[in-house]
Amino acid sequence: MKIAVLIKTALDTSQLRVRDTVVVEETPLKISDIDRNAVEEAVKLKGQDKAYGVTVLKWGPLQRRIQEAENVLREALAMGLDEAYLVADEKLINASHAATAKAIAAVVKKVGADLVLAGEATVDNYTGQIPPRVAAELGWPVVTYVRELKVEGGKLVARRDLEDHVEVVEVPLPAVVSVTREINQPRIPTLLAIRAAMKKPINKLTLADLGISVEPKVSAAYKPLLMQRKKVVIKDGTPEEKAEKLIQYLKQEGVI
Amino acid sequence: MKTLVVYPSKELLYVASTLGGEVVALVFNEGEAEAIKGKAHRVVVANVDARLPDAVAEAAAKVAQGVDVVLLPSTKNGKTVGGLLAQRIGAELIVDATSLRVEGGALKAERYVFGNKAVATVEVPLPAVATVPPGRFQGEPPAVQTSVEKLQLDTAPKTRIVSVEEKARGAVKLEEAEIIVSVGRGFKKKEDLQMAFELAKVLGGQVGCSRPIAADLKWLPEEHWVGLSGKKVKPKLYLAVGISGQPQHIAGILESRIIAAINNDPSAPIFQNADYGVVEDLYKIVPILINKISKLKGQ
Ligand SMILES: Cc1cc2nc3c(=O)[nH]c(=O)nc-3n(C[C@H](O)[C@H](O)[C@H](O)COP(=O)(O)OP(=O)(O)OC[C@H]3O[C@@H](n4cnc5c(N)ncnc54)[C@H](O)[C@@H]3O)c2cc1C
Ligand SMILES: Nc1ncnc2c1ncn2[C@@H]1O[C@H](COP(=O)(O)O)[C@@H](O)[C@H]1O
Repeated sequence: MKIAVLIKTALDTSQLRVRDTVVVEETPLKISDIDRNAVEEAVKLKGQDKAYGVTVLKWGPLQRRIQEAENVLREALAMGLDEAYLVADEKLINASHAATAKAIAAVVKKVGADLVLAGEATVDNYTGQIPPRVAAELGWPVVTYVRELKVEGGKLVARRDLEDHVEVVEVPLPAVVSVTREINQPRIPTLLAIRAAMKKPINKLTLADLGISVEPKVSAAYKPLLMQRKKVVIKDGTPEEKAEKLIQYLKQEGVI
Repeated sequence: MKTLVVYPSKELLYVASTLGGEVVALVFNEGEAEAIKGKAHRVVVANVDARLPDAVAEAAAKVAQGVDVVLLPSTKNGKTVGGLLAQRIGAELIVDATSLRVEGGALKAERYVFGNKAVATVEVPLPAVATVPPGRFQGEPPAVQTSVEKLQLDTAPKTRIVSVEEKARGAVKLEEAEIIVSVGRGFKKKEDLQMAFELAKVLGGQVGCSRPIAADLKWLPEEHWVGLSGKKVKPKLYLAVGISGQPQHIAGILESRIIAAINNDPSAPIFQNADYGVVEDLYKIVPILINKISKLKGQ
């Protein structure tokens, strides 16, 4: 089964660069965590066929980010993907979600796939909208929030993890699936696999290569939330003394 | 101005009314239509299975013609329908909007981003789609005259629901709790959580947990799960026990008045996000706390 895995090169939210606003351009990129689960699932399901990664670069500055995105993709290749496609185009930096989905779908159409796997949501944006958007663009069914996946005879059986219940659904392939963190345990690549990944192809594409154009960018401003906590740390004394101190503080605050 | 509400609730209809103009609601059976009579100008009853996002998005796309804003609840199916619909009508989708208004032909909204470490102010052209988190907006939609109409679609959904299993649910309402004792992977066995329940009991609070406790280990039902992908809580005291304090957990407790933490690792990130931290083995200190606090309360 030929599989496309959607990999977001996301802002590393544990290393946000913050001044008056969030300085997106100086914040490093990393693989969006749950996309590792999507990669793992693809490696398990692909069988004799190929699985490839697709990234649309969203955060600028373009030139410097290309190198960072390649490093992220190497990680996914080391986990077992065969090839990667990096869509890097000035017009896609801070682009609308509609444009991002259009670019992703264009790569899938160009390369072909029986299944598209994505994460349930990204660490930086956390919206879960790209998988259904890509499905709409391709005209394929979408199954979101999947924590168990089986493929049997051209059909896909999935357990969807919803708020109050688990729903088992069946859809024909091709389809788009978004997975949760609980679906599997992503592998840690071996040194050998990391070295082998250096030789796997990363294909760079522009909008012109894909033959599409996109709508204007979206305007957004990011204001950091300054959370000032008191950060009082009680570390000396016996457990008894520490407990007493904590209780005193909480009483002073009037919360117990 | 015209707003379409899919999966309408009182809250969503209220938000729609604040945008002004006509409010259209899309529902999937007569009972739902009856329930919102008088709260929307038009109610459209579509003959599709409300549990199938593909089918709901198709119905919504039909009704969305000439609509400026589409509102949905921030549920998993709500967000899925939102993404499908937004792509079909070439619109932007703002997920988990914490404020919304229409001005000069654009939808202006705020939402938390970057693991809830920043607020984004976004402005997108109309038509636009947005999802609204539960409990964020409170108000009554004004009483209006309602007309009800039917929408017949002959869709053949590709998705088939094979079975549905209810998840275990109790009576936990973490969003309303004043005190929360929250547990993480610092607990070694499921039985040990009993300590946290006891501590919560003497404090008059409820028990929360990190994602792995509910999702991976399944030691507690998901209604206890706090964080970016779980409940957003705002107690006066949040006591994190054996929780490392990853940004995705912190994202759910930002609005707590006081955060306290117990962790045996002095470099655990939770201490950077807490008002009061205790570096100690939870197995040693929690029993002492239970003892001392119950005496205190007994006085
Ligand atoms: C997109 C995304 C969404 C997520 N959403 C959520 C979410 O909503 N909620 C959430 O919680 N997580 C979420 N996570 C997961 C999150 O990143 C962390 O993996 C998780 O919060 C860690 O849980 P933990 O603190 O219980 O476990 P760990 O990180 O393993 O921490 C256990 C802690 O216990 C301490 N400890 C161990 N033994 C003792 C002892 N005897 N006494 C005292 N302390 C002890 C350790 O020092 C450690 O700090 C999400 C992740 C992603 C990628
Ligand atoms: N720019 C992107 N490039 C490739 N895949 C993406 C991109 N953005 C989102 N995705 C995929 O869509 C999932 C959900 O993202 P989001 O809708 O942004 O929360 C991610 O986990 C990825 O699998």
